Amino acid sequence: MVNENRASVAREPLNCLIVDDSAFARFRLRRLMDSLDHCVASEAANGNEAISAYKRLKPDIVLMDIVMPGLEGVETVRRICEADPEARVIMISSVSYRDKIEEALAAGAKCFIPKPVTTEELKKAIDKVMDKNEMLDVSC
Amino acid sequence: MRLEFVKTFIDSTTHLFREVVCSEVEIASIRMRPSPVAGGEVMAIIGLMGDAQGRVIFDMDSRTATRLAECMIGEPAEGLTPMVRSAIAELASMATGRAISEINDGGVSLKMSPPTVISGANISYDHCLETLVAPITTAYGEVRVNITIQDLK
Repeated sequence: MVNENRASVAREPLNCLIVDDSAFARFRLRRLMDSLDHCVASEAANGNEAISAYKRLKPDIVLMDIVMPGLEGVETVRRICEADPEARVIMISSVSYRDKIEEALAAGAKCFIPKPVTTEELKKAIDKVMDKNEMLDVSC
Repeated sequence: MRLEFVKTFIDSTTHLFREVVCSEVEIASIRMRPSPVAGGEVMAIIGLMGDAQGRVIFDMDSRTATRLAECMIGEPAEGLTPMVRSAIAELASMATGRAISEINDGGVSLKMSPPTVISGANISYDHCLETLVAPITTAYGEVRVNITIQDLK
């Protein structure tokens, strides 16, 4: 049975990991996630912290920047997804050229939003990523 | 100096300022200088590398930096706090990221470093490279965008 009202059903709060070397960017994304009634389980300022936090927390969703010191975002996504192919990572970056987007998606990211991101864009991306998984589980 | 890249950086910065800090911007006369313009109390520096190399420096006084950051953060700030510095770094990073994205989509490979913000009185920049300086006037004060970008040939 197809749920035609899927879009209007309120989503359970998700646990989220925010990965960005910018304290301001993490602050802003936390605010956006709060406004969407989701929970920020943890924040990471670089790729290595992100990998450790992911292993520890197994968040529902990861918001990942690209340009970071040390291990950058696309390689971080690759390593997270190699360890957990079910990982749901949304890239959020001002670096948004075609080749980089393709590289991120090939590494395992599910979605890409260019910065600056609005609440509506983030909500749509989360819905897209979460509903894709849910739709795969729906039996008709 | 790749002048077409310079235009991309300036356009990207002005569009971003309009979008993020909701400020109309005006660009004063753009000048070529032998080195970046120093004198502002806050500088956000981003390195560029790839098929071309150089750097972008966003230079402003502390009052402008604080006012821009307050707009981004959505609440008052007391001077150059770590969050204010981070907001300025992120503003510079977004402007540069947009510009290099357009340049990459045009077929030139260009990467950027994470931003570095330095602040203090009498900051000078000793690395003398021909720089194009674009003073951008916003509702919060002037931001000078210093762009140095050369082909690697």
